[in-house]
Amino acid sequence: MTERERSEEPGDGLSRRGLLGRASAMAVGAAVVSTSSPGAAFASDTAAAVPPAVGEHLVDVRLSVNGRPVRLRADPRWTLLDTLRERLELTGTKKGCDRGQCGACTVHVDGRRVLSCLTLAAAADGSQVRTIEGLADGDELHPMQQAFIDHDGFQCGACTSGQIMSAVALVDEGHAASDDEIREYMSGNICRCSAYPFIVDAVKAASKVMR
Amino acid sequence: MTTTSPVGAEIDRVEGRAKVTGAARYAADQRVNGKAYGYLVQSTIGLGSISSMNTAQALAAPGVIAVYSPFNPLKLYARQGDSAERYVPLQDDKVRFRGQIIGLVVAESFEQARDAAALVRTQYREEGHPRTSVAAAAPGTTVPSDAVGYPGPPSKNTVLAPGVASIDDALRDSAVTVESTFYQDPQNHCAMEPHATIAEWRDGRLTVYVGAQGPQQYAAALAGRLGVESDRVHVVSPYVGGGFGGKYKVWNDALVTAAAARDLGRPVKLVVSREQAFILNGHRPALQQTVKLGASHDGVLNAVWHETDSEDSVVGYCPNLPAEVTRALYKTPNLHFDQRQVTLDLPPISSMRAPWATPGAFALETAMDELAVKTGVDPLTLRLRNYATTSPETGRPWSSKHLDECYRVGAERFGWADRSPVPGTRVDGEWLVGMGMASGMLSATRAPASARVRFRDDGTVTVASAISDLGTGATTMLAIVAADALGVSLKTVSAELGDSALPPGVPAIGSIVTGSTVPAVQAAARDAITALITLAVQDAASPFHGKNSTDVHYQEGRLEADGRSVSFAQLLRAVGNPAVEAIATTAPGAETTRYAMDSFAAHFCEVRVNRYTGEPRVSRFTTVVDVGRVVNAKALRSQLVGGIIFGIGNALLEVNAIEDNGRLANSSLADYLVPVNADIPAIDTHWLDYPDTVFSEFGSRGMGELTTVGSSAAVGNAVYNATGIRIRDLPITLDKLIA
Ligand code: FES
Ligand code: FES
Repeated sequence: MTERERSEEPGDGLSRRGLLGRASAMAVGAAVVSTSSPGAAFASDTAAAVPPAVGEHLVDVRLSVNGRPVRLRADPRWTLLDTLRERLELTGTKKGCDRGQCGACTVHVDGRRVLSCLTLAAAADGSQVRTIEGLADGDELHPMQQAFIDHDGFQCGACTSGQIMSAVALVDEGHAASDDEIREYMSGNICRCSAYPFIVDAVKAASKVMR
Repeated sequence: MTTTSPVGAEIDRVEGRAKVTGAARYAADQRVNGKAYGYLVQSTIGLGSISSMNTAQALAAPGVIAVYSPFNPLKLYARQGDSAERYVPLQDDKVRFRGQIIGLVVAESFEQARDAAALVRTQYREEGHPRTSVAAAAPGTTVPSDAVGYPGPPSKNTVLAPGVASIDDALRDSAVTVESTFYQDPQNHCAMEPHATIAEWRDGRLTVYVGAQGPQQYAAALAGRLGVESDRVHVVSPYVGGGFGGKYKVWNDALVTAAAARDLGRPVKLVVSREQAFILNGHRPALQQTVKLGASHDGVLNAVWHETDSEDSVVGYCPNLPAEVTRALYKTPNLHFDQRQVTLDLPPISSMRAPWATPGAFALETAMDELAVKTGVDPLTLRLRNYATTSPETGRPWSSKHLDECYRVGAERFGWADRSPVPGTRVDGEWLVGMGMASGMLSATRAPASARVRFRDDGTVTVASAISDLGTGATTMLAIVAADALGVSLKTVSAELGDSALPPGVPAIGSIVTGSTVPAVQAAARDAITALITLAVQDAASPFHGKNSTDVHYQEGRLEADGRSVSFAQLLRAVGNPAVEAIATTAPGAETTRYAMDSFAAHFCEVRVNRYTGEPRVSRFTTVVDVGRVVNAKALRSQLVGGIIFGIGNALLEVNAIEDNGRLANSSLADYLVPVNADIPAIDTHWLDYPDTVFSEFGSRGMGELTTVGSSAAVGNAVYNATGIRIRDLPITLDKLIA
């Protein structure tokens, strides 16, 4: 029988938490949604859902999210993903791993696809963020969204926001020239339901409309 | 004007728009005001006990509301509620496996809870070495399947032809024998939505937002563990981000979340991290199995023997019975199987997409390929030569079986005739090309189910049952079947599921949802029509008032009598009723004791193995299935393809290796490989159209798990054909192929 003490930190090796350092990270922040353009995406109960700002080390972050200005007093630990989901109630963007390994959290930042779980909100200060909620034009679906429905490019839907955001970006990047190219450039997005062949079909179909 | 039935057509998912716009709210997306956030603390030893926990620093951290531990436990009941694990967390100081929940930190924000959890300091007493090896602990114990809550065929059985003294004799007397042993380490479900719970209590009643494969079964189990009546727990689960068997039972992370919310009088949200999901939410167990086949020189089977030793975690929850396919796939006069469980000190196991048939079929169908090689009989011919028309174990005929046609049609579509029987002889540049085939089979089960169909005065129809849509297309299935039964347009029907308050539904396990629910929806539709007619003749404000109910006819959403025709909406508005509805319950009958019932698949696979690196790639796949009547061609194709890709992952990629200390080594999506888009070629699927009217009047059997069964064997057999190397330990990775 041995007796020893160990840290309870789950997982092994370096974590983002360790890299950030705890001393600077103990803070709670608050989100302030700009009142100049209260949109449907920001439900009226937003304010109630956000805990009061009690911490230190809060940072000011200004973003444009789906074309709406957002001003945040942010905990420096907030990822862009958790900021969208927990502070701005934009829950269309999903957390599949929180480690940059699955692609479920893919959004566009200044027109490029990024993994929002690997992006700190503070580091996105000043950028234009586009999420799945900002893709359709009112009731008119983006061609990629329509193509995913038409070709059954999803089953459970948990990876779908990320797949669609990646797919839109890869067409813009000019990486939809062949099936193999689509497969390669969509391989950062895991679909455990394995809709892969239908995702390829959807991207091909949408890329024709998008051109 | 006639409404065309949507049954069997290519129908878009009715919830598709919600899923592609991000509007669909999964458990972790639900908006609950005033919630706190939980984060779990896990053990870092594999076996022993906790001598002390220092939670002071965590408690003092900003935003922390509470820290629960064995020394500050939550109120839970161990003896009530059929939740996943055999123990209840935080009730004692025992550590049963590495990664066990030993604490819960609740704080104002996710970040605060997570970081405070890292501040908990724990001292352990290690007590011996955890048992981690199936091979070292084998042979295990044969557990009667009904003794562990899985009533059904026996775990162990031997059927002998008249005059044969033992199965060993039958094997010894066979001209050709094959004996092979197979091994696989744990595999994980990896549903893209990690397990998430938001629990909110109000006046002694709990609403829980969770991804549940069976909302009512989930509510009942949770209520039992919390010590409250089932009707006090409301499970809301409109969308489930994949399940694959991993979201059927209530796991301990959900138990502590619900208990903490009760203790704090405040909603609590807990989303397990991906790494935690690998440990806490079940895995396909490690398995060692041996198959022996005895046959004549031309491959006619005389004896089939299958014994298995499967990891059974000390904490549960289900036995592994991989001979499910062996007991019925081939005609054989002598049959023996024994399915044993080996208790290990590892994280909980659970059922994962065709939990028994998938590993069992890999073993049996690989052994059949070896028999084909040994006898020189073509693998497809070998299977047709041993085709079973009655179950070799029970002697029952099948309700409907067209596997032979699946083989033939599949071979034709795939071009099986071009296969070279000599391994390693087809070369394309740096690639060795091989072809393999295998069979798939999955028992088709119906369970009692209820559904509600409601006509509404706005001209719409709602259909509801407390089933769950994990991405299977169950929501669309409900709508299609109701539209068909009522003869109305699909657009007017909305489907409700994923809520424990709806009429009793079957859980999404064992591919039983469609087979069980379709008859209930049809019966509810018939009863709703009857209720509509009754209203029409009885209500004084109805244009049909006073008529004999047999003179009023329902057709395509309208009531007609004496040349007068009124839509159901007009009738409801005329009498001032918002809706008329019926709930019906249906169950299988005596046919289940007279027939064997299964769905079938024939798989054909082409692989390319790199001559220099050994890298195996699947380059073509064809699967033909016999699943009875098809409800939705589009959803069916997606399910079939998804199952095949699950099988490809099973064959080539997936392993969560067990370390000696009880750690599952690959517990992240970087270390545990699942197929990605670039791993998958175009996949050809085809289905036969033979409604199984013995199974149900509608004739639709389940198929959600079917194509995972046998697809991994087809890959392995193709790898053998390409290289001449037989790999019996999954996954088949390049290191094993650069001999
Ligand atoms: S959640 Fe960001 S990559 Fe998985
Ligand atoms: S649709 Fe379920 S993970 Fe992709």
